[in-house]
Amino acid sequence: MRFGKAAFLLHRRAAAAAVILALLLAASCLAYLCIGESFVAPGEVLKVLTGQPSPDELVVGTLREPRMVVGLLVGAAFGVAGGLIQTVARNPLASPDIIGISQGASALTVGAMTLGVTSATVLPYLSVLGGIAAAALVYVFAWRGGLHATRFVLIGIGFAIALRSITTLFMTKGDYLVAQQAQIWMTGSLNGRGWTEATPLAWTLLVLLPFVFWAARAQRSVTMDDDTATALGVRLGHVRLGLVLLGVVLASVATGAAGPVDFVALLAPQIARRMTRTAQIPLLCSALMGALIVVLADLLARRLFSPTELPVGVLTAAVGAPYLIWLIVRSRSVRNGGTS
Amino acid sequence: MRVPARRAVAMTAAVVALLLAVLLSLSVGARAIAPSAVFDALLHGGHTDAAEVVREMRVPRTLIGLMVGAALALAGTVLQGITRNPIADPGILGVSQGASVGVVMAIAFAGVHTLTGYVWYAFVGAGIASVAVYAIAASGRGGATPVKLALGGAAINALLVSVTTGILTTKASALDEFRFWQVGSLSGRDSEIVGQIWPFLLVGLVLVLSVARGLDALALGEDVAKGLGQKVATVRIVGGLGATVLTGAGVAAAGPIAFIGLAVPHIARAIVGSGHRWVLPMAAVLGPVMLLVSDTVGRVIFPPSEVPAGVMTALIGVPFLVTLVRRKAVAA
Repeated sequence: MRFGKAAFLLHRRAAAAAVILALLLAASCLAYLCIGESFVAPGEVLKVLTGQPSPDELVVGTLREPRMVVGLLVGAAFGVAGGLIQTVARNPLASPDIIGISQGASALTVGAMTLGVTSATVLPYLSVLGGIAAAALVYVFAWRGGLHATRFVLIGIGFAIALRSITTLFMTKGDYLVAQQAQIWMTGSLNGRGWTEATPLAWTLLVLLPFVFWAARAQRSVTMDDDTATALGVRLGHVRLGLVLLGVVLASVATGAAGPVDFVALLAPQIARRMTRTAQIPLLCSALMGALIVVLADLLARRLFSPTELPVGVLTAAVGAPYLIWLIVRSRSVRNGGTS
Repeated sequence: MRVPARRAVAMTAAVVALLLAVLLSLSVGARAIAPSAVFDALLHGGHTDAAEVVREMRVPRTLIGLMVGAALALAGTVLQGITRNPIADPGILGVSQGASVGVVMAIAFAGVHTLTGYVWYAFVGAGIASVAVYAIAASGRGGATPVKLALGGAAINALLVSVTTGILTTKASALDEFRFWQVGSLSGRDSEIVGQIWPFLLVGLVLVLSVARGLDALALGEDVAKGLGQKVATVRIVGGLGATVLTGAGVAAAGPIAFIGLAVPHIARAIVGSGHRWVLPMAAVLGPVMLLVSDTVGRVIFPPSEVPAGVMTALIGVPFLVTLVRRKAVAA
C-alpha cells in the first residue's frame, strides 16, 4: 500500500465487508432458530435467548441453539484454518482438506468405526488425534532447513491421498451400515450435536483466540517475498510453523466436533479475500464467512428434504461454491500469483 | 554426458522399467507363472490353466493398467502446465469428480450396474465438469488465467463432491455399490473395457502432444507465450480437452485412482527437465510403471485378498514423491 488514501479505502472496504457479513450471520442465526419442524416466531426466539420464560424453550434453547453454536464455531474455525494454510502455502488450492488433516482424522475415525467403535465420546478425540498426527507427519517430511511452501503442500497432498485411499479401503471392509455411518461422518454432520459438543469447542477456541490475533499480524511477513522478510529480520521459519500449527489445531478441533466439513476452509478465505480485495487473507472475514456458510448450509440440510436430514457437508459447497464462482466470473483485477 | 544424451538414456531406462512392469504384471499373482510360460501362452496359445489365466485375466488387466496409467499421468502433466500450479491434477480440478458423479448417477438413477455401462456416464460427467471449469475461468476480464482456472476447478470440484455425497448419504444401496468402484482398481476388468477406451486414449494422446510446445511457452508466462506466437487460449482449450478425454477414459476404466496425475509429472520433470516434448512421453511411460507395479504388489501383499491398485498407488507413490520433493527445488 503505497498510498495512504488507497490503504484507507481498502481498510474501509474490509471493515464494511466484516459488518455486512456479521449482519448476514446474525440474520441467518435468527432464521436458523425460527425455522424447523415447528416455526417459532422471532419474538419468542429472542425471549429464549435473553432467558425469559417461553413455551418454545425446549425447541429453541435445547435443540436448535446448541447445534447452531457448534455450526458457528466449526465454520469460523475452518475459515480461519483455511486462511492460515493458504497464506503459508501461497496457494489458493491449499486447505486442511487438501494437506491431510481431514484425511488423517477420517482414517483414524473410520478405521475405529470399522473395528466396531461407535462411542460418541471416543470418536471426536480420535479424529482430533488423527488430524494432528497427520499434520505432524507432513511437517516432519516437508521440513528441510525451513518450510518451503510448494514442498509443504505437495507432501501434504501426497499424504492426504494415501490416507484417503486407506479410508476408502476401510469402507469396503465393513458391512454397508458401517460404510453408511462412515460416509455421513466423513461428509460432516451437525445431526444430534448439542451442548456436550458446543461447550468444550467454545472453550478450546476461546483459548486459541489470542493466537489468532497474533496470526493476523504475523501473516503480513509471510506474504512478502522471502528475501524482503529476512532482510527485515523476520524469522520466517518460525512464523510459518506457528501459523500452520494454529491452522492444524483449529481444523482438527472443528473436525472433532462435526467431522471434516470439507471445502469450507477452501472457500471461505477465498471469498473473503475477494470481498475485501486485500493482499492478505482477512482472518476475521474468513471466520464470519465460514460460520455463515455452515449455518446456512445446516439450515438447508435440516429442511430441504425433511423429515430426512442431510449431513451439513453435503450443502456447504452448494452454499459457498456458487458465490465463489460468481466472484471469479465478475472479477475485475487480473493478477497472477500464488495467492491472488 | 550432454543433456540430450542423458535424456535418451533416461527414456530408454524408463521403457525398460515399463517392460519389466508388464512382465511382472503378467506373471505375478495368486498363481505365480514363470515368464517362460507367460511367453508361451501369449505366443502359442494352448489351454493349460496357466495359459488361460494369463490370456483371460492378466492380459486385459495389464492393458488397462498401461492405458489408465498413461492417461492419468498425461492428464496431470497437461493440467499442471495449463494452470501453472504444481498441485493441479484431475482430482483437484474436478475432472475426476465429474466422472464420479456420472457413475453415482448411473448406479442410483439409471440402474446401470456394470463397468462397461459406467464408462459412458463417467465420460459425460468428466466432460461437463471440464466445460464448466473452463467457462467460469474464461468469463470476466482477462480470460482464463491460471488462478481463475485453479479456483474455478476447486469450486466445481466442491459442488460435484456435494452432489456425490448427497446421493450417497441418502441412497444406501448406491453407496454399497459405489464404494467398491471408488477405491480404484484394475481387477475384474475384461477385454471389453479395453476395446471401449482405447480410441479415446488415442484421441487424448494426440491432443496433448499437439500442445507440447504451447505448454513450454505458457510456462514462461502468458505475455511471453503470446510474443512467441502461441495462441494461449487455443493451447488451454486443446490441452484441457485432451486432459478431459484422458481422465474420462482412465477414471471410467479403473475408478478415480489418485496420485498418478499429481506425482508422475513431478517425477518426469525431475528426470528430463521441464520441456514438455520430453516430459509428456516420460510421464506416459512412468504412469503405467507406477500403476502396474502398485497393482502387482497389491495382488500378493496380503493374500488371499487383494489390495486395490488405487490404494497401493498412493502407498508406494508417497515415498517417491517425498524423496523427490525433498531432494530439490520443485520445478513446476
